[in-house]
Amino acid sequence: MKTAPRPDRRLFLKRGALALLALGVPPRFLARALAVETGAAERRKTLVCVFQRGAVDGLNMIIPFGEPAYYAARRSIALAAPSARDGGSAIDLDGFFGLHPELAPLVPLWREGELAVVHACGSPHPTRSHFEAQDYMETATPGAARRDGWLNRVLAARAAHAADHATGQARLADGGALRGVAISPDLPLSLRGPSPALAISDLASFGLAAEGEGGLVSLERSLAGLYRAAGTDALGAAGAETFAAVERLARIDPARYRPRPGAAYEGTFGHALRQVAQLVKADVGLEVAFVEIDGWDTHLAQGGANGRMALQLRTLARGLRAFHDDLGDRMEDVVVLTMSEFGRTVAENGSGGTDHGHGNCMLAFGGRVDGGRVLGAWPGLAPESLDGGRDLAVTTDFRDVFAEITAVHLGARRLDEVFPGYPPDPARWPGVVAGAG
Amino acid sequence: MRIPPSSRRALTGALFLLVAPSGAAAGQAPPDPDDEERVRIVHLLQRATYGARPEDVAAVRAIGAEAWIERQLRPETIDDSALAARLAPFRAVNLPLDELYEAYPDGRRMRATAGEMDSVARRRFEREMRAAGLQSPRRIGAELAGARLQRALHSERQLEAVMTEFWFNRFNVYWGKGMDRWLVPDYEREAIRPHVFGRFEDLLFATARHPAMLFYLDNWRSIAPDSLRPARPRLAREVPEGAGFNENYARELLELHTLGVDGGYTEADVVAAARALTGWSIALRGEVPEFRFRPVLHDVGEKRFLGRTLPAGRGIEDGEEVLAILARHPSTARHLARDLAEAFVSDDPPPALVARLERVFLETGGDLRAVTRALFTAPEFHEPGVREAKVKSPFELVASALRLTGAEAAPFNGTAAYLRSAGEIPYGARDPIGYPETGESWIDGGAMLQRMNLALALAAGETRGVAIDAEGLAASVGGDPVRALADRLLPGGGAERVARVVAGDIAEGLPAGVSPSERALGLILGSPEFQRW
Repeated sequence: MKTAPRPDRRLFLKRGALALLALGVPPRFLARALAVETGAAERRKTLVCVFQRGAVDGLNMIIPFGEPAYYAARRSIALAAPSARDGGSAIDLDGFFGLHPELAPLVPLWREGELAVVHACGSPHPTRSHFEAQDYMETATPGAARRDGWLNRVLAARAAHAADHATGQARLADGGALRGVAISPDLPLSLRGPSPALAISDLASFGLAAEGEGGLVSLERSLAGLYRAAGTDALGAAGAETFAAVERLARIDPARYRPRPGAAYEGTFGHALRQVAQLVKADVGLEVAFVEIDGWDTHLAQGGANGRMALQLRTLARGLRAFHDDLGDRMEDVVVLTMSEFGRTVAENGSGGTDHGHGNCMLAFGGRVDGGRVLGAWPGLAPESLDGGRDLAVTTDFRDVFAEITAVHLGARRLDEVFPGYPPDPARWPGVVAGAG
Repeated sequence: MRIPPSSRRALTGALFLLVAPSGAAAGQAPPDPDDEERVRIVHLLQRATYGARPEDVAAVRAIGAEAWIERQLRPETIDDSALAARLAPFRAVNLPLDELYEAYPDGRRMRATAGEMDSVARRRFEREMRAAGLQSPRRIGAELAGARLQRALHSERQLEAVMTEFWFNRFNVYWGKGMDRWLVPDYEREAIRPHVFGRFEDLLFATARHPAMLFYLDNWRSIAPDSLRPARPRLAREVPEGAGFNENYARELLELHTLGVDGGYTEADVVAAARALTGWSIALRGEVPEFRFRPVLHDVGEKRFLGRTLPAGRGIEDGEEVLAILARHPSTARHLARDLAEAFVSDDPPPALVARLERVFLETGGDLRAVTRALFTAPEFHEPGVREAKVKSPFELVASALRLTGAEAAPFNGTAAYLRSAGEIPYGARDPIGYPETGESWIDGGAMLQRMNLALALAAGETRGVAIDAEGLAASVGGDPVRALADRLLPGGGAERVARVVAGDIAEGLPAGVSPSERALGLILGSPEFQRW
């Protein structure tokens, strides 16, 4: 999306909804806008997915320092067992597992019981292809190609349920333009599908790119008018959703957003989470958000306490912490879940890195996440326990983590529609969210 | 192309609407909406070409639609030398494979011998390569995409271009995978385009034998399941690294290329086909991959495929028989008929049309010229609900916008960035299913805004390498400039409605620096009417 200076937008906002009347916008558009303005609060439960693309090395994120095999396999990149004298050692979590030192910003969340880890988690499918495994995780149908993503199906399931029950909270006053948002230039597969979902790189510039004083308002009005006149067919509906989202976002004046003091967002990843935080706090009806962070494919020179991966973890931790601090009490409505397409080999390779593996870890915090624990059945690193003799095995299917959070935190029903071919079973859920099962 | 402010100011506001620009040709009246013949011609052109320009409408009217279709069905009779000149910057598209490998060497292999490079050294290396006239293979993808756009804009063999896009998509190969980066130009040029109006069986065989497809779907290293590790060491070299029994190609062959998912085959048939096709592999002649049947990979057992027994002890004949059976199978005919009808007539095609195309396919032994003719001359093709009912894909949006505005598009231009963000880079579909043919797939979240912003950027001259002379365009038609632009860009309908909204918008006053023609162009290209044809 082009970024262009738009002074007229602030003018438009100052005059508020009544400005729409003055500009001669027909009643249907206004009614929708007013319903949004004055209607039932759109405060909802939200799931924020953070996809670590490139297959992060979970074994150096959540370190099994209690396993001698970990040290035997990683002579140069292992993190040392927790030690007060070594600032680069793992941070003790529970006497067996430790946190990479660069994830230190998350330690208070662990200590407060807000942060949970699911280890040895992943896909039943053996593919070690990045894009294939990412697709399988984003569609939650390992082994089967699909065009729609699981998060889009979550939206559909919630909408269907709301339609059946006509609950006030779920009434989609604006057509649900902002229920599913990815902060990225393209819509990720997770959010693709029939339910409306938007990819937005930057809230402040999401909209028509046009220059000139006053030009934008009339441009929007004319285009919106053309799409309205197009009626109720798919094009008209898509256009209407778009303008509803643009208007909704304009109303929250993204350029002026100030995070809570102490919440320090940095860089692209921080910026993305900041956009999500803003959407949550603005009560636009956000239910699922998607953010991604690259750079985890550490075949070479991965480093241990320092180096490439350590720097990535620093970015990750700072972003997640800033988000947590920015939301404050609102974190009770939001669960953040990290994920990655597969893990990496137990043993380091000849280039100081690791290659594609299998089992991995997921982090979850927020909502009623039952934190301060490493969940899942730890298979151990003995050779006979490894997948293919070389990789951390998977003992928790990632779909069970997805399903538990979707059911318990988001309150979604019709889970068999969200996870086709994998009927959800609370008995398999790792216990990430209190009140599960 | 930016028009200097002085000229813009001369055209602002009400003056633009009241006074026809000086030097305009005698004004042409807007098209008569009751001219049924014109309506039919425009509709035909919108489905059979990349945009119905006035000269195209006139050309069809001059000889009649059926004669025009016949001519387009014989592209070899149409002079396309103007296009040939425009394709010159895209060397990769026409080079024979051995020259392609020389001119676009695999940098990674070269660098592997030179050792790991940091980004500074790598840039120097690439500069040196270019200075020597060599290019990175990445460039092949860019040239393929650029060539496809130029062809859409300028080829006189429009129907051939349209159908090449369709059949490539059906027999999709993802450009970015390994050796396909070099093989795809040859694949499109030799395996697809020559057969689009030929026999389906020839097309099918050409794709099945092409190294691009055998590599893309991993058939080249599929080996018989009870694999006989060759006893004699000499033959061991014939077995590609990582070989294993692979059903990938066989599955897509049945599901996507021929019978279709409901075509009446079982998993056992997929396995049988995969067994029959073991040995259909690739060999390198120097650097150049080519088809080679490798007996050492082939499963010589007896197989049962779609109720037919393929006897034991054969070689390449197994695969040939499977392909021949598939090419002539009624389910293939039905599947193709449906997909053609969906792509060119309606997202929900009338059963009668599908049935007719299926019959033509079977009766002519899979003659694609006959089937294509039947498609574009079908009575269902002109039914009212069919016109203006298909949503343009992102590529079609770009092609039609540039073609209808007479834009000058540089070989490598900013429309590629739009296509990337809209998810339709030519030759960039990762999955065998290729890109969708139905509208609903193209108008999900954010897509509408991308389309509108593309329209505004094109109109403002802000799309790198694309120049549109909106004023000249309007002036060449004469009369009310807004109506002229709308008629030109929306020949299929809606021009009057859109022109009214646009005129109203302009009459309210424009911001400084925005000319009325820029505004009109942006609104028209961004309108829902322009997204359809």
